[in-house]
Amino acid sequence: MQLSFTPIKGTSRKYKVLVAVLAVLALTGIVAYMVSYLEGLRLWGINNSVSWGQLITVDIFFIGLSAGSLVVSSLVYVFGQERYKPIGRMAVFMGLLLMIGAMVCVLTDLGRPEKMWRLFMYGYLSNMKSMFAVNGIFYAGYIGLLVAYLAAALANSKLTKVIAPVAVLWAILVHMGTGAIFGFIETRGIMYSPLKPVEFISAAFASGLALVMLLSYVTLKLGKRPISKDMYVSLGRMLIVLIIVLVVLVVTDKLTHFYPPARESVLFLTQGPWSWIFWGMQVTLGYVIPLIILCHPKWGKTVKGIMIACLICVIGIFGERMGIIFPGLSQPLQYYPGEIEGVWGVRGGFPIMPAETLMTVGIFSLLGLMYVLGLKFLQLLPTAGSEGTADEGSEATAEQKALAAEGGTT
Amino acid sequence: MSQLTPDSKNELQGKRSSNGSGMSRRAFLGISAAAAAALTAIVVIKRPKPDETLDKGTESAVETEQFIFTSCLNCPTRCAIKVRVVNGKAVRIFGNSNSPYSDGKTCPRSHVGLQVLYNPDRFTTTPLARVSGRAKGNGVDLENDFERISWDEAISRIAQKLGSISPEKLLMLQGLNTNSNEDLIRQFARAYGTTNLFHEESLEMAADVEGKRMADGRDNSGYELRSENASETSTKYILAFGASIVESEKPLARNIHLWGELRRGTPNGSKVVVIDPRYSVTAAKADQWIPINPGTEGAMAMAMANVIIGEDLIDHDFIDNWTTGFENFKTVATSYRFSPEEVAKITGVDAEVIRETAMDFARSRPSVAWSGESATSWAYGSYASHAIFCLNALVGSIDVPGGIVYQESPPYRPLPLDVTEGGISFRELADLVRNGSVEAALGFNSNLIMSVPSTKKWNDALKNLPYYVHIGPAMNEMAAYADIILPACTYLEEWGYESAIPGSGYAEARIKQPVVSPLYESSAIATILYDLATEMGSPVSDPFMAMGGSAVGFGEEFVRYRTETFVSWEDFRRDGVWVGEDYQYYKYDEIFHTPSDRFEFKSTHLERLLNVSLPGEDTQRPFMMGIYRPVMEMRSGVQNCPWAQEVFLVMDGIGWNNVVEMNREAAERMGIGDGDEVVVESEFGEIEAEARVRQGILPGAAAMATGQGRYASGRWADDIGVNPNEVIGIEYDEESGQPSYFSTRVKIRKA
Amino acid sequence: MAKWGMIIDLDKCVGCQACSLACKSENNVPHGSPHEWKRHQDLYWHKVIAVTEGEYPTVNTQIIPMPCMHCEHPPCVNVCPAKATYQRGDGIVMQNFRRCIGCRYCIIACPYGSRNFNFKDQADEEYDRPDLPPDLDLSYVGHIGPWPYPRRTRGVVEKCTYCFHRIDQALEKGVDIGSPDGVVPACVEACPAEARFFGDLDDPESEVSRLLATRNSFKLREEMSTHPKTIYLPR
Ligand SMILES: Nc1nc2c(c(=O)[nH]1)N[C@H]1C(S)=C(S)[C@@H](COP(=O)(O)OP(=O)(O)OC[C@H]3O[C@@H](n4cnc5c(=O)[nH]c(N)nc54)[C@H](O)[C@@H]3O)O[C@H]1N2
Ligand SMILES: Nc1nc2c(c(=O)[nH]1)N[C@H]1C(S)=C(S)[C@@H](COP(=O)(O)OP(=O)(O)OC[C@H]3O[C@@H](n4cnc5c(=O)[nH]c(N)nc54)[C@H](O)[C@@H]3O)O[C@H]1N2
Ligand code: SF4
Ligand code: SF4
Ligand code: SF4
Ligand code: SF4
Ligand code: SF4
Ligand SMILES: [Mo]
Repeated sequence: MQLSFTPIKGTSRKYKVLVAVLAVLALTGIVAYMVSYLEGLRLWGINNSVSWGQLITVDIFFIGLSAGSLVVSSLVYVFGQERYKPIGRMAVFMGLLLMIGAMVCVLTDLGRPEKMWRLFMYGYLSNMKSMFAVNGIFYAGYIGLLVAYLAAALANSKLTKVIAPVAVLWAILVHMGTGAIFGFIETRGIMYSPLKPVEFISAAFASGLALVMLLSYVTLKLGKRPISKDMYVSLGRMLIVLIIVLVVLVVTDKLTHFYPPARESVLFLTQGPWSWIFWGMQVTLGYVIPLIILCHPKWGKTVKGIMIACLICVIGIFGERMGIIFPGLSQPLQYYPGEIEGVWGVRGGFPIMPAETLMTVGIFSLLGLMYVLGLKFLQLLPTAGSEGTADEGSEATAEQKALAAEGGTT
Repeated sequence: MSQLTPDSKNELQGKRSSNGSGMSRRAFLGISAAAAAALTAIVVIKRPKPDETLDKGTESAVETEQFIFTSCLNCPTRCAIKVRVVNGKAVRIFGNSNSPYSDGKTCPRSHVGLQVLYNPDRFTTTPLARVSGRAKGNGVDLENDFERISWDEAISRIAQKLGSISPEKLLMLQGLNTNSNEDLIRQFARAYGTTNLFHEESLEMAADVEGKRMADGRDNSGYELRSENASETSTKYILAFGASIVESEKPLARNIHLWGELRRGTPNGSKVVVIDPRYSVTAAKADQWIPINPGTEGAMAMAMANVIIGEDLIDHDFIDNWTTGFENFKTVATSYRFSPEEVAKITGVDAEVIRETAMDFARSRPSVAWSGESATSWAYGSYASHAIFCLNALVGSIDVPGGIVYQESPPYRPLPLDVTEGGISFRELADLVRNGSVEAALGFNSNLIMSVPSTKKWNDALKNLPYYVHIGPAMNEMAAYADIILPACTYLEEWGYESAIPGSGYAEARIKQPVVSPLYESSAIATILYDLATEMGSPVSDPFMAMGGSAVGFGEEFVRYRTETFVSWEDFRRDGVWVGEDYQYYKYDEIFHTPSDRFEFKSTHLERLLNVSLPGEDTQRPFMMGIYRPVMEMRSGVQNCPWAQEVFLVMDGIGWNNVVEMNREAAERMGIGDGDEVVVESEFGEIEAEARVRQGILPGAAAMATGQGRYASGRWADDIGVNPNEVIGIEYDEESGQPSYFSTRVKIRKA
Repeated sequence: MAKWGMIIDLDKCVGCQACSLACKSENNVPHGSPHEWKRHQDLYWHKVIAVTEGEYPTVNTQIIPMPCMHCEHPPCVNVCPAKATYQRGDGIVMQNFRRCIGCRYCIIACPYGSRNFNFKDQADEEYDRPDLPPDLDLSYVGHIGPWPYPRRTRGVVEKCTYCFHRIDQALEKGVDIGSPDGVVPACVEACPAEARFFGDLDDPESEVSRLLATRNSFKLREEMSTHPKTIYLPR
């Protein structure tokens, strides 16, 4: 079946308002960053115990989503599964955007961003024993590959078939590398695990797939483009498998660490002050609810049900990312057996500070902006005429309705 | 309180240019979206910061460098120190290794001296006079309530005032002052004709000193911690009754140094037992902690005497030859009422523990029983102090190596006027101020309002003080009552001398030399007194003239006048210290200044030591509030020192605060958790503070660190923690008139 | 080459914190404020912790002074992407502010909380020390004046250096290091209880080696296999 891709017109008022709002939010984020840069990172919630904060959480979330998106695209461009083709280009595009977002997060998170080039010195001035420096290579290469991949996909080039597998393998590398940043740190019990890289990639697949499904659906819907129900149902099946793999990995990891003697960190994670992240977000939203919906004989067959599951799953996996950073870092270091008095033994806190939060919002908006602009300037969306029906999910949210109205004018 | 901005730093700024600075830190040079950054939307802002500073060559910016010997005054130990001064700025404080007293060691607060000197909230102007009619006390605004007057004007106004009142109507308050300034203050008082001299030290020390004086007629006894390889003379056993030897007890730096040596120096180390309701740092570091009901130390000492006499472990030689009153003492001590079993009922210490402690103490000689100020701040504090001191006599630890020694002082040239009397007691002070018989007061480095019990009650009295002149380097709570404020130097900017306080036996004199010239418009206390005296003329100025005073350098001349008899000026300045002859022990025929010329065991009041009330007896107010000084309490720095604040309570890992320490079990019973806000309420007042629930404190006691709760002492001190003195009651020691700080019963409830 | 190490005798130590303050003063480490204290954003190169065990009345509190452990296998060096943290030949783990990108990965990897991030510009001018020579290239030993940090660089991670400047100067001038009249780090010099010792762990004649040979000793968090060179003698 031959699909053609066209951009949206993007001339409606609603579209312009959307662009303007996102631009303003992104700009606010930039201003927040400039202020933080001039005043010092004391404006953020980070401190000497929880020394990574919102930006790193968002960073690893984005990296995961990016890797996941690429895997979805691989269905089309590596495995040649034609039925997923409508969302292929979008998946590649999202992979690139999310990776850019991730890079913005890491680099703005640095205390001295003007020195960031040191991250990319490939052994000359950087330390290749550091997973951070290793990832510098992965990230830079990855962005290059993604640009090429997207260009090839947009051009319907033959090269796509060559670049795609490399890009996908590279994405896996990127993500496992990111997992290793955490997994190799022995002193932080919640992070320390040989399974971390695998767990990361697995969570990435699940969340990435869920996000691509969700975003592509919303976009197609609003853009009044054809929607293939079958495609989403089969992607939903895939999501079930990915979530189950993830659950198995997480259970294995936590169970191993739950076994005495060195079990404080798991106890801290599951019973400590941050346990709401683990149980409430990671387990309930990330795994349980999506699985219930997706496996449900009725809900799992409707596009609406699947989309809700995807949304919840994405939020849950964000919780999983938080569960690495916040409990992981705020667990007090036990320098000496016994109760360490006062400030040296307290668990780290993490206040929500305006500058940092505005930056987070700004980065999300920036990505949104780039995505919306991308829809206008790149040929990402399939045109009508392909198979499938377009009338699922009639009860959209208010926001979606607004967008839908706008989409009508494209 | 608003700050007068230190316009200062001018001279420093000149020199700073050598470092290429002139950095307008926030200078914002521009935003450029670099090509690569465009991709990631990173905005590169040129920050004028690091590299410009860092990449300046390898030249050192040190133009002048000096090491100046002087002495510390952050507590009464007055250690010898050495200050590194670079380009005219004091940058670092070390101990002075010429001083054997503490072997060149200093306690942590010595380093913080830099922040006492460069306190950002110091007075930066010439003297200030209160605009007439402006209210006194809390909430004083330096800008609006005071006007600047010249030094000449200030001195002549004060001289006029002092000339117009009758001398006995003048009250002089002293906080912690350099010894030489204390001498001058006393000369001034004597020449002027007032005896109303109050020393804030006597707020806590008086009862302790009194109890010892009853026994030996002296007030310069000290505990010699001795550590030597010839182990017979090393102190073997230290029994500390509420003396926090390594946290506050004078002489702190010396104690800590010797502690280190005693622990590992001798073959088996010496044993330390701490008797304190609170698990202090000293208790944590000691071999044994014995929690005791507050106020029952005297009884505990008597029970120990009961055992030591009963087991015949006393030093017969000493007791037979050099003491009087032992038979009566023995009768009282060995009575049934002082048996360990009976005393255990009030002290809360097991009879077995009392017995063991007594035997150990008597057998491991030389041993010392050390009474801290806190253990004796009681209604019968002098007797408790006496009882504890007598333990030393029982085991013959008087004037022996590693026992009690009598501090010698340097042979200063005598002062023109002979001043012997010690001044007035706190009870007398209270009466004087309350019944309005004071017409003018001079406060030298005083912060009376923060240090007295029942702080709030003093507010009215001090407000009604008709004329108060505050002399000190920085704004504090007392200055808020001032009619005139004279900005004084800190201890690092003035001339003076200090003598070793009891502890070493041998004498040691230490020089005080200005390490930088007085900052802003401040003036040394010696100079202020000299100016005031000369302004008033004879007879007030007579002693000052006799000491050779010339207007320009009186402070320095005075020090030379007093010390040149025993040390050459060059040597004194070069070494920073002068050390006397080795101490001679066993001088029993001359050391006792009692009527009998012997050590006197007193027995008439000892029974009163049993007459104590215990925690929990008052069901309304079941806790006894105890107060202690953590090592980072800066006595003369008023806590406006961030370095001290950051690490204020080491045992609790708490900075920038003080807390109500309570026993965990007791707190749990009342539903109070660690970190909860609690209200502490006594007959005298109420305070609200954070609770600290810990294992290391007697269930019936509560403890609180002093030093915090300031409201007019500067940016790093104000509104931090609370001042426990607000709930402390007023009760006096019978003999010494000292307030009893530790008998206050409180109720604690959740806020 | 020497291998520098520090020994802290917990029996002699009285938790006075002179070490912490001497370190602040010597290395011009900025002070914090109540706000930063609550937020954990203040800087310490050296800390003294108290660890309690037991219940009233048999409580036991250990007071443990903690400089950087100068691990033989330092995780902080491993994770630093920019080679800003590195180990010198003599075992001192150093921090080069000019290379540091402020990623704070080392803070996360250090098992001893030895590293702190510099969150702000130095606030008060009085701690701005123009007298101190500028931060030098750390490979350059021939500098004058013992202080490396005239002004702070915000946005980087800082930590104890074992007072390398004193050591380098002493080496250059041929002064003995670690002996009673020799050169020692500021915290060792300032300890009134003389509970701290510094010297060459490879030299069997040194005081530190002698102490290790004759006394029980332990290291913090040995299970991390970082092999600290700051070693404790138990009470
Ligand atoms: N609850 C309770 N209260 C107590 C005690 C207690 O244990 N518990 N202890 C009591 C005892 S023992 C004492 S000694 C008193 C202490 O009581 P104070 O002597 O009143 O104590 P400081 O806080 O040292 O006040 C001295 C003032 O001198 C000023 N000053 C500081 N440095 C200098 C300097 O270099 N030069 C000059 N000219 N002035 C300077 C400062 O402004 C400071 O406010 O407190 C007593 N009060
Ligand atoms: N760090 C520091 N050191 C100082 C000073 C300072 O301000 N800060 N000030 C100096 C001055 S002026 C003085 S007078 C000395 C005083 O020094 P110390 O005599 O040591 O007096 P405090 O520190 O008040 O209390 C010592 C211990 O007594 C305990 N205690 C409280 N109540 C009782 C009780 O009823 N019974 C018993 N047995 N123990 C009790 C407290 O818990 C505390 O541990 O310190 C000097 N040294
Ligand atoms: S003991 Fe007192 S005088 Fe000595 S250094 Fe410490 S604060 Fe200064
Ligand atoms: S200076 Fe010495 S005694 Fe004081 S805390 Fe440090 S190591 Fe312990
Ligand atoms: S203690 Fe921490 S900072 Fe120091 S060397 Fe070891 S890992 Fe690095
Ligand atoms: S913060 Fe600096 S020293 Fe630490 S890991 Fe990053 S670059 Fe290295
Ligand atoms: S060795 Fe130097 S840098 Fe390290 S804690 Fe001691 S004084 Fe500070
Ligand atoms: Mo005192």
